[in-house]
Amino acid sequence: MPIMALDFSSTTGLPEETAEASNTRLPAAAPILEPGAPTDLELMHGIQAEDPEALSQLYDRYNGIIKALILRVIHNEAEADDLLQEIFMEIWNQAKNFSAQKGKPLGWMVTLARRRAIDGLRKKQAYARAGERLQTETEQQPDAWVHNATEEEITFGDTRLLVRQVIDTLPVAQQEAINLAFFRGMSQREIAAKTNTPLGTVKTRLELGLKKIYDGLKELRDEL
Amino acid sequence: MTGLKNCAMSFDEFQNQARLYVIGALEPEELEEFELARKDLGQEAEDFITKCYSMHEAFALSLRPAKSSDVLKDRLMAMVRNRQKS
Repeated sequence: MPIMALDFSSTTGLPEETAEASNTRLPAAAPILEPGAPTDLELMHGIQAEDPEALSQLYDRYNGIIKALILRVIHNEAEADDLLQEIFMEIWNQAKNFSAQKGKPLGWMVTLARRRAIDGLRKKQAYARAGERLQTETEQQPDAWVHNATEEEITFGDTRLLVRQVIDTLPVAQQEAINLAFFRGMSQREIAAKTNTPLGTVKTRLELGLKKIYDGLKELRDEL
Repeated sequence: MTGLKNCAMSFDEFQNQARLYVIGALEPEELEEFELARKDLGQEAEDFITKCYSMHEAFALSLRPAKSSDVLKDRLMAMVRNRQKS
């Protein structure tokens, strides 16, 4: 099976149509909030205190990112919408388990969303061994999820660019291994089988790629 | 790095494993070894794992946000309010 360059940047996994300059000045890595807007942590505390308005604001801020993550895993618009709703309901129900000492609210939400999306994908695959079909669908839908820039997209545009700059430094094979592990929930053995690559090579690709991303993100945070 | 004294895994190795762990890519036999090292290394290990989870956030932020309908949000908020009433 040929190695496929899987782009982290788009929802579909297809290369983006816009070329972004690589020498852009480094902006803030965190989303820029309106003056006076509550922080994510304040919103989480609001949800913990069962304030629906806090959930409403958190939804407005992150539904696009969470949905993009779900779509990247399950590749189905209707199922992604259902899952998005379930995930935000779970955020509401599980907010008491969030601890700021263990990370940021967005990290917690993404971890929760990814787990749910991969569970959904596995259930789906249990019914029909659809892995290859989904891959084909992804490759054949260049415009299916392309849309006009939303306010959320603009807000996170700089952050996305920065993260992409880090990811884009990785060789394609490392990107592919990380993509299959993170967005498809595949084990090293499954990745080895899918890409027809020795297990040891997969492990090395994952380790090297993740280290570069981790170090790149750390450098980014230190620089700002 | 006090935990390292009794730990078979070096901290460098633990860091490599931790990055795999947070994306769920450790194989069962590696997971067992990792959990032992995690226990041995204590708080230092926990702190590093927490840092690794920031990669989840970064991967999500690397995606272009997808649009969803307002109806979806209305439905969600109605569910939340119903849950509060019951």
